[in-house]
Amino acid sequence: MNIIHRIVNIKAWKHTTKTAAIIVMAAVAFIIIFSAINASQEEMMNNVSDQMKQTIEAEKDSTRKRVTVTYNSFGFIKYLSVSTSGASATKEAYIAFAGQIYPANEGFTRFTGLMVNYTYRMLGSGENILHGVKLTLLLTTLSMVIGAFLSVFLALGKISKNLIISKLCSAYIFFFRGTPLLIQLFVVYFAVPQIFGFAWTGLFQNPEAVYKGAFLAALIAFSLNSAAYCAEIVRAAIQSIDKGQSEAAKALSMTYGQTMRTVIIPQSIRRMIPPLCNEFVMMIKDVSLVFAISLMDITTISKTIMTSENNYLVFLPALIIYLIVTAIFTYIFGKIEKRLSIYE
Amino acid sequence: MNDYEYILKTENLRKSFGSLEVLKSIDLSVKKGEVICIIGPSGAGKSTYLRSLNQLETITSGKIYIKDELFLHREHNRTIHRVASEKQKAMMLEMGMVFQRFNLFPHKTVLENVMIAQILVRKRNKTEARQKAQEIIARVGLSDKLDAYPSKLSGGQQQRVAIARALAMDPEIMLFDEPTSALDPELVGEVLNVMKSLAQQGITMLCVTHEMGFAKEVGDRVVFMADGMILEEGKPKELFEHPQNEKAANFLKSVL
Repeated sequence: MNIIHRIVNIKAWKHTTKTAAIIVMAAVAFIIIFSAINASQEEMMNNVSDQMKQTIEAEKDSTRKRVTVTYNSFGFIKYLSVSTSGASATKEAYIAFAGQIYPANEGFTRFTGLMVNYTYRMLGSGENILHGVKLTLLLTTLSMVIGAFLSVFLALGKISKNLIISKLCSAYIFFFRGTPLLIQLFVVYFAVPQIFGFAWTGLFQNPEAVYKGAFLAALIAFSLNSAAYCAEIVRAAIQSIDKGQSEAAKALSMTYGQTMRTVIIPQSIRRMIPPLCNEFVMMIKDVSLVFAISLMDITTISKTIMTSENNYLVFLPALIIYLIVTAIFTYIFGKIEKRLSIYE
Repeated sequence: MNDYEYILKTENLRKSFGSLEVLKSIDLSVKKGEVICIIGPSGAGKSTYLRSLNQLETITSGKIYIKDELFLHREHNRTIHRVASEKQKAMMLEMGMVFQRFNLFPHKTVLENVMIAQILVRKRNKTEARQKAQEIIARVGLSDKLDAYPSKLSGGQQQRVAIARALAMDPEIMLFDEPTSALDPELVGEVLNVMKSLAQQGITMLCVTHEMGFAKEVGDRVVFMADGMILEEGKPKELFEHPQNEKAANFLKSVL
């Protein structure tokens, strides 16, 4: 109820929230209006040259079509392309925007048309990029959570007075920070099964054994890697807490474990958030390395579309999608940091 | 009344940081209910002495007795005797410490600061700890700040919370490490008043301070330390008015 009240009570909104709401509403209004006045698919088809129309008409009853008609619509902007294959291959493309239909065979309109087409393909058909986003987010979040959990022990181990534990943890961190993530991924996915005589795909039942096996291998590799990076973040944060804090706890006869759990770590978490956010954002992008073990993340899917379209412009919508994902997480981490700095 | 003579006693306590000898044989004994003020120039080892008592520093050699029982005996950086670890915790709880820089837990409210160690160390349940905390916070006059975070308090208020936090553990002896040195001059008074009232309530106090007025008024005994040694100790009146040691005389002349 409280949340609903806070949303309804517009007067109490923050300035940035108001600005964001205005931008979103303006965007929605823009899309609705421009969708309403936009040309229909029939109108766009009418624009196609007579020669092409005749070809389509001639082929109407043929089973082996040589004409491909592509129609992608986001409502406010539409893309239509008609192409023939074979020796006399021709292609005509149009975009419809703001009630007008523009030919999109060259220059800026062609570029816009392609962007509409690729974005539509990524969101809609076979190689749905949303699957890629899901995989990227799942892999990033899981490996960061596991990594952050392991990193606390690694960090405490590294600052431990026990020399053996300290050296072991330092060696782990040194190893995983000192070798490329791609090779770590290869080692986990290819070398480890060879050494221990098993197969990642063998661990799962069909039908998705290949996918699940690769996912597990990637998850293990990324978790181990992010644990090493996060461990340094955690260690730095713990050591940045004033020594007086642990002295005060000791003077109150609190044990080492109690001191860490209730005094030092809660305080250091706020200091970890900005570098952890950094690490998270790096991880979103590092996950693109899974293309090497053929998992379908954002990068792999755009690469697939690139290959089938034979056009490198596909990567531009992919960039935008990465930006959106990163922006969302930066925002969330900013919120968390603000929430945690309540006592400062 | 008590089954022990001295609540705290050190014999030949020495502490070196590398080749630098900070404490050179400190012998001091504290009776129950006594208020002892340790004065002296900076670098004399006063704070190090308090920290050694509380095991925040490991002594090089010497003996520490708590309630006449040998707590720790070390010679040349080697531990010769230490009480069993389960008893060690109970004995450490006899000492409460107040720091120069307060060292409150900034992520906990005033109430939580005073409650946390009671719950974790004294194993009191929440209601009990809360009751005790409220009672003690009232004693230092901060009942209206129970839910405030330390950053919202003045230095004097923070130090009073720190005193409450130490008192909540029911220590037999309170160690004050220059409790007013980090405060603005106008805030010193409120902390000293709390300490005075504690002294009147008969709480044993060992207090490193630069507040000569406080030492004179409240102290049962004043100890003058310089260069890691106790050069003179006695009743405040005698020591302040007729210092026997030359260094003490010079020091008092410069601060009074």
